[in-house]
Amino acid sequence: MRVTNNMLINNMIGYIGKNLYNMSKYQNQLATGKKISVPSDNPVVAARALKLRTDVAEIEQYQRNVEDAQSWLDITENTLSQIGDVLQRARELAVQGANGPLGQDDTNKIKAEVEQLRTQLIHLANTTYAGRYIFSGYKTDKPLIDESTGDFAIDVSNSEAIKFEIGVGDDININVTGGDLFNGGGDASATNRGKLIEDFDNFITALGNGDHSAVSNLIADIDDDINNLLRIRADVGARQNRLELTANRLGSDNIAFTKLMSENEDVDMSETIINLKNEENVYRASLAGGARIIMPTLVDFLK
Amino acid sequence: MSFFGFNVALRGLYTAQKSLDIVNHNINNVNTTGYSRQYAVQTAARPMSTYNGTGMIGTGSNINAVERMRDEYLDYKYWGENIIYGEWEAKRSVLADLEALFNEPSDSGFTTVLNNFFSSLQELAKDPSSPAVRALVSQRGVTVAKYFNSMAAHLEKLQDDVNYRIRTKVEEINSLATQIQQLNRQIYIAELGGNTANDLRDQRGVLVDKLSKIINIEANEVVVGTLPDGTEDKHFIITISGKALVNHFDVSKLSVVQREEDEKVNAEDISGLYEIKWADGNILEVKGGELRGYLDVRDGNGGEVGPNGIQSPMYKGIPYYMKKLNEFVQTFAKAFNEGIIGGTDGYGHADGYGIDPDGDGPAAASHGIRFFTMLGPDGQPLSSAAFIDESATPSEIEQRYKQLTAKNFAVSLDVTTDYNTIAASSNGAEVGNIDILNALLKMRHDEHMFSEGAPEDFMKSLVSNLGVDSQQATNYLERQETIVNQVESNRLSVSGVSLDEEMANMVRYLHAYNSAAMMISTMNEIYDVLINRMG
Repeated sequence: MRVTNNMLINNMIGYIGKNLYNMSKYQNQLATGKKISVPSDNPVVAARALKLRTDVAEIEQYQRNVEDAQSWLDITENTLSQIGDVLQRARELAVQGANGPLGQDDTNKIKAEVEQLRTQLIHLANTTYAGRYIFSGYKTDKPLIDESTGDFAIDVSNSEAIKFEIGVGDDININVTGGDLFNGGGDASATNRGKLIEDFDNFITALGNGDHSAVSNLIADIDDDINNLLRIRADVGARQNRLELTANRLGSDNIAFTKLMSENEDVDMSETIINLKNEENVYRASLAGGARIIMPTLVDFLK
Repeated sequence: MSFFGFNVALRGLYTAQKSLDIVNHNINNVNTTGYSRQYAVQTAARPMSTYNGTGMIGTGSNINAVERMRDEYLDYKYWGENIIYGEWEAKRSVLADLEALFNEPSDSGFTTVLNNFFSSLQELAKDPSSPAVRALVSQRGVTVAKYFNSMAAHLEKLQDDVNYRIRTKVEEINSLATQIQQLNRQIYIAELGGNTANDLRDQRGVLVDKLSKIINIEANEVVVGTLPDGTEDKHFIITISGKALVNHFDVSKLSVVQREEDEKVNAEDISGLYEIKWADGNILEVKGGELRGYLDVRDGNGGEVGPNGIQSPMYKGIPYYMKKLNEFVQTFAKAFNEGIIGGTDGYGHADGYGIDPDGDGPAAASHGIRFFTMLGPDGQPLSSAAFIDESATPSEIEQRYKQLTAKNFAVSLDVTTDYNTIAASSNGAEVGNIDILNALLKMRHDEHMFSEGAPEDFMKSLVSNLGVDSQQATNYLERQETIVNQVESNRLSVSGVSLDEEMANMVRYLHAYNSAAMMISTMNEIYDVLINRMG
């Protein structure tokens, strides 16, 4: 085949351009740390990258949700434990108050303490977390119990479960409804008095009347209340457990998906550096070869 | 013996000199685009008979013609391949723009925008009464809407750019055709005497090369008769899809006509797109070249028949992506606002209640608010009531969503002016109720929302579609580039100037010239002896 000068030059320019392009490709990969910069570099990797980004973002959101659910439940559990202390103390006082020989003076002291406990109970019923009433069901902007009367201030149905999403199609109920806790498992309805407060009221009345046998009968009621509380605390504890497990799982999911994402789109640095070096050599060689090819013609040898 | 020898030697001088001239011309044009090297057709001159039986005596040499080295088959091949090359080059360049526009995978593309939006909804689900989180949801919603607005604006701009490129290319065709027609005239006149207009033909070849990249042409030199001197009468003709663009001395130009509203190919098209026609009004069928590429990406909607019954090209061009984005916002807004997903009506934003700003009862909590509406004629987002009237029937609602486009997608004025209207609750009196919000959050994973799946699957499939198309265009382009380069290399092999060769020829003709000159001085000596020294 006849070879002419311009063929050589054209080919040389073409190849040098191509080599330079390859070099810039690896250089881009090194600079961005990504295998692809546009979908056409590798549509499969691109599609997977989009999916994985969403997955990772979602997992991170679920992790935040779990943390918030945990702190909400921690507050709830903390409050429940204080209510437990109140009930425990009330029971002790009831046992004391049931003693016939107790003088009116002592009975009045007990009565005063029970009244304090009742007030504390109402305060606990209106506990807030970040400005939201935790036992008010969906009406988080309103207190559960009217401080002056001790009646429920609002209706709270036990179906008013606040749920946080902690996974795709997976949510967890993070609140305890007021009725469940303060009305022995029933719903709370406005202007009615919950069983818990009513028991305290009866207690106070019985103490006021000095009716020791009535106080004695109340011990069983307080035991019921304590059992009811224990049931709820067990439930909250189980939920906390579940959150703990979910948090662990989400943590490892996050690592796994981040790793997948990295494997999918991040470059292997050492491999890319070697490739770049390789391309650089090819490029240098093509330049050197080109310089040799273009230089000599017969002109150089004619005198 | 006469002075015959002088004449022969003189011819030798002339021949060598002419050949050197040609070498000189070739060397000069070593870098001229499209130049074919020229060579002298040299023959021995007519010999002289002697009458004494010694035979015929040669009378030296003649240059009969100057020809160019050219393989015309390679030209046809080049044109044919260049048409395909041009088409893919045009497609590739626009698809690369589209890819840059979608900007995926990245940390600022659609995925991120939607992730952030749903993330803010999640935060709201945890604290539905917080004004700060409500503001965040509204802002993130606006970001989603603005993302689509900006995509639509860029796509329209891109379509406009491509449209402009089409117009420029048509002007280029007309200019090239006029130049070719002028060269036709010069060549025809120059060749009437029986010569070959080498350099003019080369120039014409370059113009046809350029033309072949732009549009599907066929170029031929056709014999139409015989001239009075007996040579063939050849006309150079260029046709596009069968109709002559250049016919010997005539040119039929192309023109661009803006399409009327009722001539639009796609519903998504911007106004004023050009239709390419012959200047005489006939329809032009563009089958290849850059123009075909640009037309495909400008009008291509996967072969769908548009509102005016015109079928779009079978290519996924700009209108296809406009249509897909519109489809996304319509379906997404309908699901989000109304809870209608794939024909089933669940709970959407409009079914929920906002929070009551002054907190004294359910009467004041907003209800029936559409989170997403559209931009009104004045460019301001419509309020929910202006978008869909409370009394609207389901079919009227359906119709309203058909008017949503990526370009006019917006967050309702109610939501942007009063964050309390964001409906999280299924009951106006319960601020902690997030039933509606949970229904909205579930939509993110609703596989029935699009035929492609959930919202993110839809975009994923759109982006990977674009990636595949763009990759295909790149591959075709590279393959075609190799072919075109190969043909060009073959052409250069035949027609290109080799400096080595020219140098060798130069030395050769120099020697011939020197020898002929020596011949004259030898003759001179002979006659000197004969005339001056004798007698």
